[in-house]
Amino acid sequence: MSDVSSPKAPGTADHLMFRILPHLVLFAVLLLIWEMAVRTGIITSIIIPAPSKIIGAIWELYVTKGTIYRHFFITFTEAVVGFAIGAGVAVTLAVCSALWDPFKRYVSPYAIVLNVTPGIALTPIIIAWFGYGMGSKIALAAVISFFPIFVNTLTGLIQRDEDREELFRSIGATDAQIFRKLRVPAALPLLFAGLKIGLTTALIGAVVAEFAQATDGVGVLMSRFSFQLNMAASLATLLSMTVIGLILFYSMEFLDDRIVFWRRESRGAAASRAKARAWKSRMGQ
Amino acid sequence: MSVHDAIPMPEQRGGLSLRKRRLIIHASIFLGLIALWEICSRLGWLDPLFYPRPSSILHSFWLIYFQNANVWYHLYTTMVLVLAGFIGGSILGIGLGALVGFNAVIRRFLKPYVIVLEATPRIAVAPLLIAALGFGASSKIAIIVLVCFFAPFINTLSGVVNVNEERLELFRSLGASKMQTLRKLVLPDAVPVIMAGERLALTAALSGALVAEFIQRDKGIGSLILVYSRNLNMASAFACIFTLTILGFLIFRGMEWLDHRIAYWKNEAGMERVAAKRAAQMGDLNV
Repeated sequence: MSDVSSPKAPGTADHLMFRILPHLVLFAVLLLIWEMAVRTGIITSIIIPAPSKIIGAIWELYVTKGTIYRHFFITFTEAVVGFAIGAGVAVTLAVCSALWDPFKRYVSPYAIVLNVTPGIALTPIIIAWFGYGMGSKIALAAVISFFPIFVNTLTGLIQRDEDREELFRSIGATDAQIFRKLRVPAALPLLFAGLKIGLTTALIGAVVAEFAQATDGVGVLMSRFSFQLNMAASLATLLSMTVIGLILFYSMEFLDDRIVFWRRESRGAAASRAKARAWKSRMGQ
Repeated sequence: MSVHDAIPMPEQRGGLSLRKRRLIIHASIFLGLIALWEICSRLGWLDPLFYPRPSSILHSFWLIYFQNANVWYHLYTTMVLVLAGFIGGSILGIGLGALVGFNAVIRRFLKPYVIVLEATPRIAVAPLLIAALGFGASSKIAIIVLVCFFAPFINTLSGVVNVNEERLELFRSLGASKMQTLRKLVLPDAVPVIMAGERLALTAALSGALVAEFIQRDKGIGSLILVYSRNLNMASAFACIFTLTILGFLIFRGMEWLDHRIAYWKNEAGMERVAAKRAAQMGDLNV
């Protein structure tokens, strides 16, 4: 038991080094070739700036001037709030649809219409409705993150494991118990897959709305730098979007790991150990 | 057995089938919503400047399609871009996906870059590409290619990599050549996955085109929507949006049809069709 649970086997660090080293070398070589290509003029530096320029721009944006942070947090907030609204509405509607058949029947056509319309097309209208501030970005993020979450939650909730349901009924479970103990846990993995997609789309929504019309945010910074032909700074800004994307994705992955613990073997083992400890302490009392 | 199956539903009531009755309910809900919207607007609860009436949206449809007929040109421009970018992105995505899928070394070294690229909102590169390639069709197509490259790439990659191990073993033990394994084992399982990627790609291509047009603001349906909503001509903007809805629906259906045609072995009807065709060919040979 204990040797399985201990995550750090001897020599893991070395293995990690050996695994990462070739990647780092390759990355360095690629950067070097790129730098040389720009210096010798094979690549025009206006269109693709040298890595050293990009690093300089990153240094300036993130350290010396620190302009990025305000914009970073604005875009981050827009994406997260928009996602929260979109996900809230999507999950509520999906649960209602799963519980009540007529609701599903008469709501789903509108959800489908919303799905086949490219949500991004709504950008100018949403800006006209909600103004140039953060409101319109949040609204667009909510609208375009709605559908993937809705459809995944609904699919998860209406998939039926007939055998298990039979078992639940035969031991006298109520409808509410079946929903809570059987259908919700079965739906959670799909729900989280939907949430991950939705989070990425919410970020896209926030950034696109910023391109269209805004005063603050990473999207504005990015288009401003691009139109000044300051490609190095523009790429440095793009990097901050990647960072937002990674933060959002991995925090959702973390939640997924914790909440849907039974899908991962290690998490399942940890959860059962915790339960065993709780039982033992209760027995002791 | 679920509850719904257990309770017998009345199939006939008042001479209408269940299907027809449901259609009527659908239609009445829809018409009720439209009427509610129209009435709210007429009573002054919804500002028609921002929330156009259904009747004025219908009128705008008439205007932009027939009276002014200005939507056709923009629609055509956008569609040409979408198709060009989609085809380019698909070829690039499927080609690279296959290349990477069949080569474990490239796959290992490419993985970190793919993860980083996946986290980046790819549409965000649009201003960069426009600055690099200039205004006009080329930068728009580049944006669309970039936006719709990823889904076919990832799906081709996973389709090629996720081969059923047991079947592969069987193929090996029967002495199948590489080509045979590819044709008879890898492709039949990979093609439906690739087609699913293509569906996503076409939707993404349309979004990419719109974003490119929002930024460039010269022509195309995206810039038309932008101009209309800037002028607070919301009815016409909505007419354009509903046009895109119809277009999106056609794209969805078209891709579904294509999927059924290409990956025919995944559905019953397709199998029957191909089987009948082959039987006919065999019959010709016999005669």
